[in-house]
Amino acid sequence: MKPVKNIEEFVKLEKPHVKTGGAMDERTLNDSFAVMDETIRAGKPNAAGIILRSRAAKLAAAAVILVGFGLLMVYRNPPMPQQPPQTEIVAKSPAEMLTAMSLNMAWRRGGIEAVDEQSSKAFKMLESKPAKASIQELLLELNGV
Amino acid sequence: MIDEKLLIWKFNRGSKDAFQMLYEKYKDDLLGLAITLLRDRSLAEDVVHDVFVSFAGTTGSFHLSGTLKGYLSTCVANAARDRNRLRSHRDVELEAAEAMGCDSGDPVEHAIDSEQSGRLTQLLGRVAYEQREVIVLHLHQEMRFKEIAEALGISINTAQSRYRYGLEKLRSIMNSMVTK
Repeated sequence: MKPVKNIEEFVKLEKPHVKTGGAMDERTLNDSFAVMDETIRAGKPNAAGIILRSRAAKLAAAAVILVGFGLLMVYRNPPMPQQPPQTEIVAKSPAEMLTAMSLNMAWRRGGIEAVDEQSSKAFKMLESKPAKASIQELLLELNGV
Repeated sequence: MIDEKLLIWKFNRGSKDAFQMLYEKYKDDLLGLAITLLRDRSLAEDVVHDVFVSFAGTTGSFHLSGTLKGYLSTCVANAARDRNRLRSHRDVELEAAEAMGCDSGDPVEHAIDSEQSGRLTQLLGRVAYEQREVIVLHLHQEMRFKEIAEALGISINTAQSRYRYGLEKLRSIMNSMVTK
């Protein structure tokens, strides 16, 4: 054997060129196919698997869970039935609203419209509306003017 | 390369034909690697068999970051290392040619195989296993030192120094054979 100058070239050139035998091929492929079948059978994607793999499916699943949770909460705690509107609490009684002083203050505040409005409120609260009495008549009666 | 990616894609969808084509493509190369590392054809066949069976078990979830050749070569090298550790510490250096006998096929074909692979295998048999491993992965499997280092779990410097010392050892063995 001659001295080898380039040992790397020698190793490359001497790379073994072997071939597998038929029996080995058959054994390896049969065993591999069996393992493939088993893996495919065991790893058939179920719903959970699909959800875990896909990002869009993850988001959709999260949305469904949130909606479901919301519906559950609504079902368990139904919203309170709407209360009928409370009668407006007013500081003054209708009688006070119709006193001379009160009407005078309304006059100063907004003129005849304010007096009309205040008297309408008072009558509304009393749930009785004079059919014919006018403001002038009321003023006349109350103030004697 | 594109064909290989297509084959891997098909394999991941359970195609046995794709698997068989990948097997046909790499089987001889991987067997040569295993024989060079183990110097025992029967053991080498077992290693290659185990590697392909394990590979088949990854169908549906196989993700490849590098090349398939590099991946399979790494698997063979790791499996061969395990076999080498388990193997009893019998002296196989000079029995390599005899040990090439296998459980399959044509004796003439294997005699040719033994002749072709025997010389380097015998020489490398006298180099430390770790050095032999790096030499074969680099020069025969064309893996870069970085890939080898990652595959073997060593640093790049360690891989390079094993390679260098291994080649020096091989050179001295061959030169001593010349002087005799």
